[in-house]
Amino acid sequence: MQALRTAATGMAAQQLNVEVISNNIANMNTVAFKRQRAEFQDLLYQTLAAAGTQSSDQGTIVPTGVQIGAGVKAGAVYRVGMQGSLTRTDNPYDLAIDGRGFFQVLTPSGEIAFTRAGNFSVNDQGQLVTQDGYQIEPAITIPADAIQVSVSKSGQVEVIQAGQTAPNVVGVIELATFVNEGGLSAMGGNLFRETAASGAPTNGTPGSVGIGTLTQGYTEASNVDAVAEITALIVAQRAYEMNSKVISTADDMLATANQVKT
Amino acid sequence: MDNAVFVGLSHQMILRREMEIIANNIANMDTTGFKVESMMQRTEPAAPAMTLGGPRPVKFVAADGVARDFGQGVLTKTGATFDMAIEGKGFFQVQSPDGPRFTRDGRFTVDPTGRLVTQAGLPVLDEGGGEIQIDMERGEVAIGPDGTMSQGNERVGKVGVFEFATPGALEKAGDNLFRNTSNLAANPSLEARVRQGHIEGSNVRPVLEITRMVEVSRAYERTARMMDSESELSRRAVERLGKVQ
Repeated sequence: MQALRTAATGMAAQQLNVEVISNNIANMNTVAFKRQRAEFQDLLYQTLAAAGTQSSDQGTIVPTGVQIGAGVKAGAVYRVGMQGSLTRTDNPYDLAIDGRGFFQVLTPSGEIAFTRAGNFSVNDQGQLVTQDGYQIEPAITIPADAIQVSVSKSGQVEVIQAGQTAPNVVGVIELATFVNEGGLSAMGGNLFRETAASGAPTNGTPGSVGIGTLTQGYTEASNVDAVAEITALIVAQRAYEMNSKVISTADDMLATANQVKT
Repeated sequence: MDNAVFVGLSHQMILRREMEIIANNIANMDTTGFKVESMMQRTEPAAPAMTLGGPRPVKFVAADGVARDFGQGVLTKTGATFDMAIEGKGFFQVQSPDGPRFTRDGRFTVDPTGRLVTQAGLPVLDEGGGEIQIDMERGEVAIGPDGTMSQGNERVGKVGVFEFATPGALEKAGDNLFRNTSNLAANPSLEARVRQGHIEGSNVRPVLEITRMVEVSRAYERTARMMDSESELSRRAVERLGKVQ
């Protein structure tokens, strides 16, 4: 009976939904995490009577056909790129992006990865690095005798060194933008990798057209809305139950058919 | 004499199909832009049966078609720039390798070449049937209620929304797409409103579906019982008539 298989696809889809929701909730406090959404599509239809076929020589047509669907499948799990709110940290090396763009990070394998998590630190050589110790690209080195570090909205890093009054520019932070940010593939550790779907990165200074600005002393919070996620979880659970109810009803019908006396 | 069994059987076959449609509705209660379906039945007259009281009509149950409810699904806010929902009648048109398809699933995105595409990568068409190009470098994209897309104060394109006089003639093609197999014309929709940052959920009402499912299951049992007593009747008839007095 098709209804059994159809309901099974429904249960599998809702299971995936719960997995995506639970990952969102688990990452509620992850810096710059973008929540994901599972999206579903209907499966192929079996056409038993096609609409629009001729029903007589006079050219009359069948107005509605009989089509029976085979269930549901996960179409895409896509990332909702909405801006997260900015949280004040007062750490001079915390940078939040307000608008589009990604920081570029040099991974140990030599590959450039992209991230919006701007909670940076300084390593023993004075280089600006992520919490995993990966250098940002282009590299920024803070002199050891720096008293004050300031990062402008357009990414200029200026330091005031001991015994000086005028600030020194030590580098400019560049941001990368993509035509299709949703096409980036997550590597874990808040990092993303470029793919064929995202297109090649375009570099630019923060604040230029189409690129966001930097805010020093803030980090971008995740854009997960706890209430919305919990509500989605309840809906997914109920949907799962309903699909299992379909399976038991279809099973009852089959049992009835089996009990017909001959 | 066997008519009752065959009429019952025709009813059970339709009930099973109906059950399959309900299962599909429930499986798709979270599918973007999904439209709920239900089975329409009709009676199929057959040759009359001869009874003691003269000929009596025999009517089988047959499938007449699948009715699709094109009512509005609930709009959910997502905040994504290229998520669009249609309020009112109409469909977006997308170009599939097998020709144009229609959909109410407006979760669009931009591919690396700057075309507005569906999640499956099919280009979304404008009112004239052309593809829509967006240059992401030019800033935020705003979409007006009539589908006009603009960046800053410059118009960059218009998402086409089309409607049919009888949307029932559309055929579902899977992947949230509809196929136009009839020769109906797709006209630009005047009343439909495009809502940016929203998607349209399915219009399945789960409680209604579960209720219908219970009904179908009970009707199936009832028919089975009717067929049971019918076969019991013929068994007894054979027993009694076969006895030699």
